[in-house]
Amino acid sequence: MTCEQFQELLPEIGGGNRNIEYETHLRSCQECWGLVSDLNAISRQAPLLQASEEPGPELWNSIESALREEGLIRSSRQQPVLVLKSKPRWNLAWMLPAAASVLIVLGVLNYQGKIHSVSTETAPAITAQSVNTRSPLVASFSAEDQKFLTAIAFRSPTLRAKYERGLRDVNAYIRDAQQSALNDPNDEEAQRYLMSAYDQKAMLYQMALDRFQ
Amino acid sequence: MRGIKRGKGSIMDSKSRNATLIVGLTIAGMICAQAETRKEMHFKVGRHATVSITNQFGPISVRPAVGREVVVTAILSSDKVEVDQNQRGSRVDIFSHLLPNADATSGQVSYDVAVPADASIVLHSTDGQLRAEKMRGDVDFEEATGDVDLRDFSGAHVHIKTLDGPVTLTNIQDGYIEITSMGGDVVMNAVSGPMVQVNSVSGKILYDGDFGAGGEYVLTSHTGDIEAQAPAYASIDVFARSVTGPVVNDFTLEPEHTPFAIKAGSAFAGTVNKAASKVKLLSFSGKIHLKKR
Repeated sequence: MTCEQFQELLPEIGGGNRNIEYETHLRSCQECWGLVSDLNAISRQAPLLQASEEPGPELWNSIESALREEGLIRSSRQQPVLVLKSKPRWNLAWMLPAAASVLIVLGVLNYQGKIHSVSTETAPAITAQSVNTRSPLVASFSAEDQKFLTAIAFRSPTLRAKYERGLRDVNAYIRDAQQSALNDPNDEEAQRYLMSAYDQKAMLYQMALDRFQ
Repeated sequence: MRGIKRGKGSIMDSKSRNATLIVGLTIAGMICAQAETRKEMHFKVGRHATVSITNQFGPISVRPAVGREVVVTAILSSDKVEVDQNQRGSRVDIFSHLLPNADATSGQVSYDVAVPADASIVLHSTDGQLRAEKMRGDVDFEEATGDVDLRDFSGAHVHIKTLDGPVTLTNIQDGYIEITSMGGDVVMNAVSGPMVQVNSVSGKILYDGDFGAGGEYVLTSHTGDIEAQAPAYASIDVFARSVTGPVVNDFTLEPEHTPFAIKAGSAFAGTVNKAASKVKLLSFSGKIHLKKR
């Protein structure tokens, strides 16, 4: 069993379906042993998510962007699996195994990046291009927003500047609306501002995803 | 007798002519391959059909058709783009499929679409102009940078999303309108209906109309200015507020109780005439101006 085959089987093996070939490779390969140890550590930390704040829809959108960038989600005209069109009522207990699975997949993706030469050759070029064309305020983008912009730069470089400007404007909108709502929690219009601001950001992500299907 | 005897000279002329013909046909073929291609598609549909067109580059124009047939005329700019079509009952899907090495010029397709007036239209585009007129069915437009132009609609549900393309609505009656614009200006002339909602981040919102009777109009922006122009006979219950920008009002308002204090210069509220329609003009830092025509 090669390292590549081992890592392809990881999502199945994580459910407890181990075999002799898996065990033999795990004992003989230090790199794969390190990967499994790290993933086990992530799984142990997942229950601690219960104490954290409920992630916003931006997190799922950015996760989907990252998975599309890696090619795990193929182009399809069907409704994306991870994109939220409306605000769902999330049950935290249900989210935990889903969040843990997503973290494991992301961990596998990070290690697969060392083996797949195409990804390795492409990613630095995109990152360098992004850095060269980035405005100073990009540093204020969240990690999810930066993944979103990286995905757009990869799929549609000509639109990247427009989406970056839109994202910067809408984040400013959200910040101002949040401050306004905090200043007066009873102000219905301030609440409306905040809803409008989030609707704008959701629209931005949705338009980008529609384009890349 | 002339023309009967053919010597070596005639043979050479014939060969030369053949060679010229072959070269000419080859060049013509190459030119044809690069030239525009016109494609016409016909679809029989029932009542309340849905027509969806996804076209990254190029304009789409929609107009009402006679009868229950959808006619789509597509002009492809090159052989680097093809038009895929699909029909399931009364649902028609048209998709401009870009081939490898296609760009904004070679991948352009211009659509002219005739649909039954009660059909629903769904258009997705990146930088092509979207136009529609004289429709009664639902309209769902998504445009990144091109402009959107709707006119002469009646009783339609209109949903428009745009990144920074300008949106113009003219003579839309009894409409349920929802426009979300990131940076594109939104201009509405003679637009009225039970619900008109515009949400802009930095684009301007310009309204020129009488606000109809019995509708709810909510115009919201973050930094874009909002200008609403109405006649003296307009019947509205208006509330306007800009958190940090100025507000200007040309009407004489009958005061109305509000749940919070009105800060002069930043907000105004009151009624005009019989207050038939509710109007909210909200901005964070843009200027709000309610003008009397």
